[in-house]
Order: sequence, then structure tokens, then C-alpha cells
Amino acid sequence: MSIMKIENLEAKIGDKNILKGLNLELEAGKVHAIMGPNGAGKSTLSKTIVGHYDVEVTGGDITFKGKSILEMDPEERALEGIFLSFQHPVEIPGVNNAYFLRTALNAKRKHQGKEELNAAEFLREMKSHLADLGMKSDMISRSLNEGFSGGEKKRNEILQMLILEPEVIILDEIDSGLDIDALRQVSEGINKMKDGKRTFLVITHYSRILDYIEPDYIHVLKDGKVIKTAGAELVPYLEEHGYDGIKED
Amino acid sequence: MNLITLKNKNAEEVATLLGIKERNSLVEKFAALGLPHKMTEEYHYFDVEKLLDVDYKTLNYVPKSIEEGDKIEIVDGVVTTAPKGLRVYTDVCENIDMEHFDGLYYLGHLLSPRVIKIEVDGDAHVEILHKYTQSDALINYRVEISNQANRHVTMYENFETADIKNTLVLYGYDMHIAQDSTLRMVRLQTMSGNAYSMVSSHKITVAKNASVVLKNFDFGGDQALQVLKVELGEYAHVDAGHLLYLNDDSKRGTASQIIHRGEHSTSKQVAKNILDGQARGIFDALIRVEHTAKFTKAEQNANSILLHEKAYMASKPQLEIYIDELEASHGATTGQLDEKQLFYLQSRGISYIEARKILVVAFANTLIETVKDTRHQERIKDAFEQVFYASNKG
Repeated sequence: MSIMKIENLEAKIGDKNILKGLNLELEAGKVHAIMGPNGAGKSTLSKTIVGHYDVEVTGGDITFKGKSILEMDPEERALEGIFLSFQHPVEIPGVNNAYFLRTALNAKRKHQGKEELNAAEFLREMKSHLADLGMKSDMISRSLNEGFSGGEKKRNEILQMLILEPEVIILDEIDSGLDIDALRQVSEGINKMKDGKRTFLVITHYSRILDYIEPDYIHVLKDGKVIKTAGAELVPYLEEHGYDGIKED
Repeated sequence: MNLITLKNKNAEEVATLLGIKERNSLVEKFAALGLPHKMTEEYHYFDVEKLLDVDYKTLNYVPKSIEEGDKIEIVDGVVTTAPKGLRVYTDVCENIDMEHFDGLYYLGHLLSPRVIKIEVDGDAHVEILHKYTQSDALINYRVEISNQANRHVTMYENFETADIKNTLVLYGYDMHIAQDSTLRMVRLQTMSGNAYSMVSSHKITVAKNASVVLKNFDFGGDQALQVLKVELGEYAHVDAGHLLYLNDDSKRGTASQIIHRGEHSTSKQVAKNILDGQARGIFDALIRVEHTAKFTKAEQNANSILLHEKAYMASKPQLEIYIDELEASHGATTGQLDEKQLFYLQSRGISYIEARKILVVAFANTLIETVKDTRHQERIKDAFEQVFYASNKG
């Protein structure tokens, strides 16, 4: 069953047309990997799905659970269940990480008609997640991402994902800047969320992350379009032949 | 009394208009600097003439017997309560700076020949509450503060009003920080409703090896300018932080001069300004390093966020340096809220309006959290959020 459908999507950033009639269907509960060379439009695709200000959609549509999301604000898309783990999470000095996480969680709970959590209830919820991700408890009392290492920032992204429990999770270059140990912990956090219901869109330049998060589908993106969709068996082929060796479907 | 009558008057005329027969040197200093106007550098962005050109009623400053209380309360320029153990009395000011750059500093001293003296012995926490209860009045008073060598004092300065309108307060302190001592001054001033305007003109002398920490939190509307001159001796230090959150058509800010006179003196001045509505913020700050101040370290930075297209920030950090052996830096930025940060919060389901509030509060907190005492830190946070949320409903 399809949870998200992208049809003939055209989008630009500034004057540059980047997505040029992209088609992609995400099957609920599956792991989809988007691979492609630099400049293919991978990050623009993730930005377009979450409604980033930089992107102007000039054609096509994105539907999520049967509803078009293009007119929705970024926060509405998030509340509906779309989550982007950023390649470069921003630092926000002065915003306490725990306060931010609780505000985000309570926005979601309010949207779902649930009661908001107070600080004590929230901290109880957090503790097990922190341990699973190998995060020190002081990380939630620090300013959001301020002074965090690359690995800590990515763990913090996964922590948000675990707390907000989205339905579609976009991981944009989640492996960039991670050493092997951090990559393993981050991957474990992601795999913990794989329950056959949640859908993952793993955007990556390299196949390394796919050793840890096993994909159901590989989509090759080139020049703003998906040119090939195949199973995980495509990964070794790409390793050997590169993207130039791919023939368009 | 209409203070504008003192405009462009010579010393003799000033003395006649103010009914002053003595204190000629002060009259001459005031006449030489003149009543500030739009072309006076420190007042360039502040409509001071509009405030001065009003017929205010004058008050009688008769000292009262001071009752014991938990803080120093000054009501309409007269001390009413003070804590036990502090020396608080009224007397002639003996330490007037004869090289101040501000005409209103001298006018303040001319109008208030007797000042409120606060002498702090030992280590202490002192709260000063200024209360204003008179409408359409000119309230003028000055305070002289001194501490003891090798002691550490923290002062919290707050302002309250009764239901008043259109009053002008001319106020200021002369502060002497003794050798090897520390004085921290945390000032919180929320203004609204055109209750009063204020020009406060200060002078702080920091002796050898002493340190002064000034944290100013100016919130809300109306008109106020803080004019500040700080002189640093050998190994002396000043840490000045200014947080401004203005709304409506407010005009407020700081015009300051920090003067390094002694070797190895250090200064750090940080301004964070948030301007909403049609407000105008002022940060006109000069750090001057004199020939005698080798090995000085001076750092000055101003960051401003404009929340409305009609808001304006006059940010003018300046360095004036007469030696080579020093470390100095300064900078200023003015802009909108960071879009990347806004988007990040929205992408987690936080609404645009709430995300904007979170970022503004965070920007303010970077200065508020430099106040060490958590009780006062919370009080300042509450004051800020109260004013900010009142202006940003929804």
C-alpha cells in the first residue's frame, strides 16, 4: 500500500530547476533508499517533501495518505507524520534541548487530541531513549545542538524521531560525519523504529549506511528524475559500475 | 519648569534661570556642553528636545526619616526606606566628574545639589527600588554609590510607577568602585503607557584591580536613554551587558563611553537588541584606550533582531585607540530571525508563531542567563516574557 506518492514533481531553488518531473511511490512500512550522484536533486527532494522555504514547486504533486501536502505549512506536514533528519542540523543557542523536545512532542500530542506532558512525565519518557542512543543525560539540558559534535547532532536527530514517532522518516545523508561506532548506534535507533508500519526514505551518496539499514527498494536519482527502481541487489552493482552504468527504466 | 529655556544660554544666564549663585564650575561645564539636542552625538537618535520642551511641575525634595525595610526605596527622588546596616543619607556630592561628555549630567547635579549617598560596607546584596507617583512632573535626583576595598557587592535596581502620565525623570548615579573590589549592578526597567520618560546620566570610576559588572534589561515602550561613562584604572575591569526589547513606537537605549586609563585594564560590552513595532533602539558605544592604558583588552559587540519592517536599530560600536600594545575588537549585526532556525523548529511541528517566540526568547536568554542569581534571573525572564508575549499574542 502506498503512503506517499510523488507525481511529475518539478521544483527549483532560486533560478535553478532541480527536480524535473520526478515520480516516486513510497510503500508503507518499507525502507526506500534514494541514491544518486552529487547534484542529482536528492536533498532538494527531501526539502520539497517537508516544505522548505528555499524550494519553489513549479509542477506536479505530492500526496501523503491520499492528501496533497503542497499547500501545507512545514509544521502541518510534521504534525501529519513526516519527519526529516537533517544532514546539517542547525545550532540554536539559548533554546534548551529538553524544552524544545517537549514543545515539539506536546505540539504533536495536542494535534492528536492527547494531553500534554509536564516536565517530569517528559523526562521519564526520555530516559530510555537516551540510554539506547548512548547519549549523555546532560545533552538534553544543553542548548539545542550548540557545540554538539557531528555524531551528537545526528543522535539528537534520531532522539527526536524516537520521541515524535513519525510515519514517514526521511534520513538525509544520516551517515555523513559519523564514525563507525556512532553509525552503529544511530542505525540501531533507526532499526528500532522499523515496525513494518513506518516508512523510511534513506537519502545517501554512499552505500555504507545500507549495510546497517537494509533497504527494500533502491531508487536511483539522476538529473532531477528517478531513473531506476530495483531491490537491494542494485547496491553491489552500483558499487562496481557507478551511476553512469545505470540504464534508465 | 520648562528645561528648553536653558537652550543656547551662557553660564550667567543659566545661573540666573536656575537661581544658582554658587557652583560656578558646574554651571560653566553645563553651559559649555549645552542642553542636548538632535545634533548632539549621543542624543542623535533620541528625541530629547521633545521631552525637555514641556512645562513640568517641580517637586520639593525634602529628606524624610528613613524607615527600616528590606530594600532601598526611593519615592519621587526621596529615600523612604533602607535596610539596616547600610549608610543611606543625603549630602553634597563631592566627586563630580568635571570631564563628563553629557550636558544633562551637569544639569542633574545643578538641579540636585544634594545627592542620595549609599555607602556599602562589607560584602552585601542591595536592592534599590525607584518609585514614581507624580504625573506631569520633573523628577530629578542623583545617587552616589561607594563600596569598600576588597569587598563584593551586588545591587539590583528596579523601577515602579503609580498610575501616572507624562513625567520626566532625570536621574543618575556617580559610582566609585574601590580598589580590589567587585560591584555587580543588575538593572531591570519595564516601561509602558507613557507614564514617564527618563534620561539617566551616570559616571562610574573603577579603581585599580577592581571590577564592575553592569547588566541592563530594558523592556517595553516609552522613551529612555541611559548615558554612561566608565573610567578604568590599572587592572580594572568592566563587563557591561545591555538587553533591549522594545515595542510600539518606543525610543530607548544606551549611549556610553568606556575609557581605559590604566594599564592592563579590560572591558567587555555586549548589546542584544530586539526591536518590534515601530520602535527605535539606540546603542551608541565608544571604547577609548588612552596613551596610559598599555596592554588593554577591549571587546565590544552588538547584535540586533528586527521583528517588524518599521523597527529601527541605531547601532554604533566605536573604538578610539591611542596605543599599539592592546587587543581590541568590535562588531555589530542587525537582521531578522534566522530562517534556518525557524524552519528547523517548524519541521518538528512547532508553529511559525511559536517558533518565532522561542527564537526571540532564546536570543534574550543568552544575556539574561549571565545573571548569576537564579531568583533574579527568573524575575528578569518573567518580565521579558510578559512584555514580549503581550506584544506577540496568537
